[in-house]
Amino acid sequence: MNALILVARREITTQIRTKAFVIGLIITAVLVGAVAFAPKLMGGPDEYTLGTVHSQQLPVQAAAPDAKIEWRAFPDEAAARRALLDGDVDAVLVDGTKVLTDGKIESELGVLLQSTHREAKLGASGVRIEPLQMQSVGADTRYQEARTGIAVVLTLVLFMLIIGQAMMVAMGVVEEKGSRIVEILLTSIRPWQLLGGKIIGLGVLGLINLGTILVVGLGASFVSGVAVDFPPGTPGIVAGVLVWFVLGYAFFATLAAALASLVSRQEEVGNVMTPLTMLIMVSYFIAFYATAEPTGTLATIMSLIPPFSSMVMPVRMAAAEVPLWEIGLSMALMAGAVVAVLAFGAKIYERAVLRTGARVRLAEVLRAR
Amino acid sequence: MLEISELRKRFAGGPESPEGKLALDGIGFTVRQGEMYGFVGANGAGKTTTMRIVMGVLQADAGAVTWQGRPLTYADRRRFGYMPEERGLYQKMRVAEQIAYFGRLHGLDQAAAQKATDDLIERLGLGERRGDAVESLSLGNQQRVQLAVALVHDPEVLILDEPFSGLDPLAVETLATALQERCRGGVPVIFSSHQLDLVERLCDSVGIVASGRMVATGTVGDLRAAVGRTLRVVVRDPAPGWADGLPGEIAVRGDRHELVVTGGDDQDILRRAMKAGQVEHFGYEQPTLTEIFKEAVA
Repeated sequence: MNALILVARREITTQIRTKAFVIGLIITAVLVGAVAFAPKLMGGPDEYTLGTVHSQQLPVQAAAPDAKIEWRAFPDEAAARRALLDGDVDAVLVDGTKVLTDGKIESELGVLLQSTHREAKLGASGVRIEPLQMQSVGADTRYQEARTGIAVVLTLVLFMLIIGQAMMVAMGVVEEKGSRIVEILLTSIRPWQLLGGKIIGLGVLGLINLGTILVVGLGASFVSGVAVDFPPGTPGIVAGVLVWFVLGYAFFATLAAALASLVSRQEEVGNVMTPLTMLIMVSYFIAFYATAEPTGTLATIMSLIPPFSSMVMPVRMAAAEVPLWEIGLSMALMAGAVVAVLAFGAKIYERAVLRTGARVRLAEVLRAR
Repeated sequence: MLEISELRKRFAGGPESPEGKLALDGIGFTVRQGEMYGFVGANGAGKTTTMRIVMGVLQADAGAVTWQGRPLTYADRRRFGYMPEERGLYQKMRVAEQIAYFGRLHGLDQAAAQKATDDLIERLGLGERRGDAVESLSLGNQQRVQLAVALVHDPEVLILDEPFSGLDPLAVETLATALQERCRGGVPVIFSSHQLDLVERLCDSVGIVASGRMVATGTVGDLRAAVGRTLRVVVRDPAPGWADGLPGEIAVRGDRHELVVTGGDDQDILRRAMKAGQVEHFGYEQPTLTEIFKEAVA
């Protein structure tokens, strides 16, 4: 078997066996599941308990089909008042002429009762009113809320996964360099095989994480019923996220490996990685801004420029409709950037990884040979 | 045959020493098939740098390394076994998996790597530890794993930097036996060490380096001959002044006089000693490697 695959497989099996990975995956799944159920738990349809005293029930249910309405009959007004004060009912219709409430009536319920009462009376006298027809002249905004929600979750997921996996790559590189395993490794395999295998292996772990998030998220959404609000293009968005993760991860992880190969001790990793973490943070902030203004100029421009595009474009795609050519152009540019970074990063890695001891300066590596 | 000739290496200096440091100044020696070659020298003399250049971890400024008459290539080095000075193992990986992993990286298939791993684990006495993470092992056992990693692909050449440092006598024996077995199989073995008695016992040839230069190289016998043997005479209760005019030094221990001489007419010395008192010891002694080493680097 190819050395590249051997290295990748070692990364995967070693990580999967650690408690940290398993626990992390479980926590992620639980969190994502909770997010998918949250709208149901917090929002939910309106529920009203209404009462009658010597009155006919009003056709409230027909007027508000989404609401859950329960009727209760009371023998007299005194009983109804007690029930109101105990909070057992929200409003009681007395003798078909007045409505009793405890304090101020909820405006929606008030309007509902007034209009159904009017309609019932008019209907009784033979007047029929056609309901008003609603029509939007702007874009279809039915799914806007759901789209923004998906985009916000996506930004966070992409950011966490990319920075987390890039950090793992950096730490792995320094582990091998610091302990000199790299000296034995590089007498049996080529630097690009070691670097590539590590990036692929940890990338697969990232995809396992992302896959778990997507499967649990979508599954839980269907179970909770939130999925009903998902926009029609959801499968495309999901596929896009996978592609963008791969591109973004390849870019940032390669840079992480190159930077990490300059130092020999774990303590120095954070320091040497600072420029890269800043770059990822900036991408994240722009992407987060894009969730609110997916069609703004900043989002549009940044969704084309690598490496920012790897986080901004998937957010734009989730939050709004993006012309296909823009997606294509953005992906092509990002793929080009990945190829450039792979060539450049592999060179730095190759030149620096065997130079143990004090931190190697980047300029020195670039000048060498 | 592994031939190392005229290696030179200067490390780039920092701002405080723009000259840099001359690490190797013409290191060269030859190791034949089945020969155990001991590489000795003070710390910083250039042993590790030489081995790293042979393994391709470092580039020499000048000089050459040839294997079987051809310049050493990457493909050749893949069939070498290497133990770097600072031990490198994956701390969290299990013993058997780690050894097999390096076997696979060297090109063995799954079954061959597994078999080689099992053999080595048994031979090096790691059987009970095969499923443990390397970090939980004692230094001696980690060193055994490190050797196993160097041996797993049945290497054609062994390059070992300080393989015996920090080991207890039993572990030294296990390691030494494993190396001797490989050597008998025709594999050239180069190892560096500060334990000169061990080098003297195990090695066919020895190279002594000082300040990046080869100060002596050859078989242990050749080096002994070069230094010259010494004559030691012990006389009991001799007449005072019996050795006046003889070369060498006299040490007085109680009523015994001990004379150590290099060169001179041994028969004359014996006659004078017998006349002076009771001769308890008269004989030539081979210089130890420690003496050869002191002489060479002086």
